[in-house]
Amino acid sequence: MELRWDLRIALVDKNPLRAAILEEGLRAAGHMSVVRIDDTADLLDRIRAIDPDVILIDLESPSRDVLEQMFKVSRSVARPVAMFVDRSDAATIDAAIDAGVSAYIVDGLRKDRVKPILDMTISRFNPFAKLKKELETAKSQLDDPKAIDRAKALVMRAKAIPEEQAYALMRHVAMNENKKIAEIARSIITAAELLR
Amino acid sequence: MTKRLRIGYVPLTDAALLHVAKAQHFAAARGVEIELVADSSWANIRDKLVAGHFDAAHMLAPAAIAVSLGIDQIEAPLVAPVALGLNGNAITVSKVLFEALLQEAQDDIADPRVTSKALARIVARRRAAGEAPLTFGHVFPFSSHHYQLRLWLRAGHLDPDEDVRLVVVPPPFMVWTLRKGQLDGFCVGAPWNSLAVAAGAGTLLHQRTNIVRDCPEKVLAFRAEWARSHGDDVRALAGAVDDASRWAAAPGNRNSLRTLLTSTAWQDMSPWTIERVLADPTSTSGPAVVETGLQLDEDAIKADPAQALWLYAQMVAAGQTIYSPVQAEAAAAVYAPALGPSISRPAATPVAFDGPAFSPNDIASYLVALHASS
Repeated sequence: MELRWDLRIALVDKNPLRAAILEEGLRAAGHMSVVRIDDTADLLDRIRAIDPDVILIDLESPSRDVLEQMFKVSRSVARPVAMFVDRSDAATIDAAIDAGVSAYIVDGLRKDRVKPILDMTISRFNPFAKLKKELETAKSQLDDPKAIDRAKALVMRAKAIPEEQAYALMRHVAMNENKKIAEIARSIITAAELLR
Repeated sequence: MTKRLRIGYVPLTDAALLHVAKAQHFAAARGVEIELVADSSWANIRDKLVAGHFDAAHMLAPAAIAVSLGIDQIEAPLVAPVALGLNGNAITVSKVLFEALLQEAQDDIADPRVTSKALARIVARRRAAGEAPLTFGHVFPFSSHHYQLRLWLRAGHLDPDEDVRLVVVPPPFMVWTLRKGQLDGFCVGAPWNSLAVAAGAGTLLHQRTNIVRDCPEKVLAFRAEWARSHGDDVRALAGAVDDASRWAAAPGNRNSLRTLLTSTAWQDMSPWTIERVLADPTSTSGPAVVETGLQLDEDAIKADPAQALWLYAQMVAAGQTIYSPVQAEAAAAVYAPALGPSISRPAATPVAFDGPAFSPNDIASYLVALHASS
């Protein structure tokens, strides 16, 4: 009975901290056979050897495309594996994408057995996704489109001209000076800050 | 304020037109702001587009068709109003296999007919000696890379499913896998062939358009439903790609194109490598051609349904689906030039180096002839 209920779970994640946290959570929930696989070139062979019921994979891993192949060549694994994220559960798909994880399960495995595993995976991946997002936001505080928009607004106000004209003017200057329009935009913002 | 659209892409040379459309403000000029989001796998691109996390995506043309037909993991009707280029793949083999092919080849090694037959002899000898089958890498089950490998193998009367192993290898792992001896060759796009050669791991066997001339590659894909309700955005974006393709084809813009690719598409790659990828001393057709023959001009972006039908025929030949006229019609409908820029010149139909000529009006005969010839 014990054996029959113990799902084999393969976890493909190159973030060791996140993998350890998830593995611990899965074990605490009674899933003892969790195998972590490195994101390496012989992934298919490793999966074949483990013959998992569930595969959890970091969305950042390019090896997702390797797993996709298993469904096309069913003889490469003992049992055909199907993607869990069927469209009837859009909320879970959204949550999984936001958290940065995807799951594959053996065809025919009951959904109610897999759902808690996926929910836990999403909840363990989420803090990492949040952190990454915060870092990205900080980095792109003044990315090109934002700088251009801000500069455009400054020009519109300073010269009392409409948006298209302000943009055309910046573009004209950029072309004349052989610079990127974002560079021109940043100079406008800097100048405006100096003259404030 | 202009509208912001999220477009997913995989950092490859053939995402170039999207970078141009953004950096040269072609999209902004048409009233849409592009946010380009790099992703690491074709499966992610597919899932995020279908789930609505992307408004549009740089997508393998056959993958867009497969999703629309419901023969991939998820079923969702997609449309491609414009393509993002033609050609661009090359076959690279390990140094060991290249030496063996040189020994075995009875004629010009640049001719894929010669190499496919030489390969067949190598495969037969290995089998007789009880050695493991040769392994070739491509990028996704539904990819022209996969189909190009199959066409090459078939020309040597090899069964792609029995006589060799075909495996998906993420491009960033290709060179390493080839060097480790886990792969004997692969078919990928730029810049990965150049990288393998530069790293001394392999030899470029068939480049440019040797296997398939005018081979469809990536498209700009949308959810069909979204495209219906956002017709103006779709037209604006497809129009910006058209502007970008004319810009990229202008000889005077080559340096700017290289600079753009250096700063956007390949941030982790050295300028030396990019120079190698773009360098093409033999080219006479302008600046937008890279080492592997990637074509970015206006002739290369028309989403002609005949190209979708050619890809559909390759899917059937690969055993990924079973031919039906209804399915063929659905595949053709994924390419929706009516939603894209009006390009009056007809698009070229793909021509493989071997096998029967393809006619979009008679796929059944093409498939029968293809089967008989291999």
